[in-house]
Amino acid sequence: MIDMVSLLLITVPVGLVGALTGLGGASILVPLLVFLGIPVKEAIACGMASIIATCSGSAASYVREGIANVRVAMFLGIFTTAGAILGATITTKISPLLLYFFFAAFLATSFLRSKRTPPESTTSSAWPDPVSRWLNLQGGYFDEAYQRRIDYRVNHALLGGGGMFLAGLAAGMLGIGAGAFKVTVQENILKLPPKVSSTTSNFIIGMTALAGTSVYLYSGLLNLTLMGPMAVGTTIGAFFGGRMLNKLRNRTLRALFFLIVSFLIVQMIYKGVSSL
Amino acid sequence: MISSHQNQKGSKLEVGISYVLASGVVASLVLMGAGILLFYWEFGNLAISEKKGMFLQEKNFFYFLYDLLWGGNFHGKALWTMTLGIVVLILTPYAWVVMSVLYFLKEKDFKFFLVTLLVSLILTLSLATH
Repeated sequence: MIDMVSLLLITVPVGLVGALTGLGGASILVPLLVFLGIPVKEAIACGMASIIATCSGSAASYVREGIANVRVAMFLGIFTTAGAILGATITTKISPLLLYFFFAAFLATSFLRSKRTPPESTTSSAWPDPVSRWLNLQGGYFDEAYQRRIDYRVNHALLGGGGMFLAGLAAGMLGIGAGAFKVTVQENILKLPPKVSSTTSNFIIGMTALAGTSVYLYSGLLNLTLMGPMAVGTTIGAFFGGRMLNKLRNRTLRALFFLIVSFLIVQMIYKGVSSL
Repeated sequence: MISSHQNQKGSKLEVGISYVLASGVVASLVLMGAGILLFYWEFGNLAISEKKGMFLQEKNFFYFLYDLLWGGNFHGKALWTMTLGIVVLILTPYAWVVMSVLYFLKEKDFKFFLVTLLVSLILTLSLATH
């Protein structure tokens, strides 16, 4: 088994890519830990705790720059935190074997994002639903890559909330941020621009992870010698990822996202099949 | 017309949350980094361990916090420091949610006061009942 310094060094690029793609880091970390021989439930629990650091690190700069929509994040936080508590509780009770296949299947849903959203879409013309209007969820930000201000409205807030409950459920169950699923819900249901979706997703993941971590603390699955280096490494990576995101084009981010998710699905299916 | 006052760069809530997030993460990373160094000092290696003493477990987070600060159940400075880093990390999102509740109350934005209050209640219950 590797030592803490090697784990710390491995997790730096993981944090960077997690922040750039909106995956949140743990979607990459959990399969990586399983590959390195860590039991899957322990990997999930430690992944969940370490993404609080990853997401908080990158969200700090997104929020300051005004890209993440704090109101949308708070509203959706109601649904994701409730889902995460239920998901983490399920994980402590089911067979580890199932978790490999759930993980791969859940990652596969993230491809919906790249199929359904136009590659260079930067504006949103959706008409706000009554709940979004009542909660004043609309917003805007300055896009450095396009050198212009992007204003947007929010639609289907309650339906989006239902989608975020499922995202929270998967996040708590698999020890990940479920960033890709959250981004899919925000882009396709709430009609948020891609960068607002990615950054707001990062912001929500912190709340989701906190809810899930409390369940894993009770279950005794949090290993200090894993969590320490993972949190330090992924946060350093996420710090740099947060600074690079607004300078990259959406097409580049999507290509990176596609490659990484494909690799992770194959790895988890392989691990699941070989454990049968 | 789109009103975007809540998303302008540098609004009070956003700057406040940003500071809480950044300082919480930096503090927890410093503690965990120091814990790793102390671990090497105390144990003479940096191996990832599956021993029972390396796993955190408690009835709920608030008992866990009490144990950490006043219980004296942790053996050695390395594990105590790493655990404190984890605790600071867990408290970081909790702190900005609580801060948002107070901010919306101060701004008399009662819709979002209720939204943030509900989120903070879910998180508090989760920390207290697991």
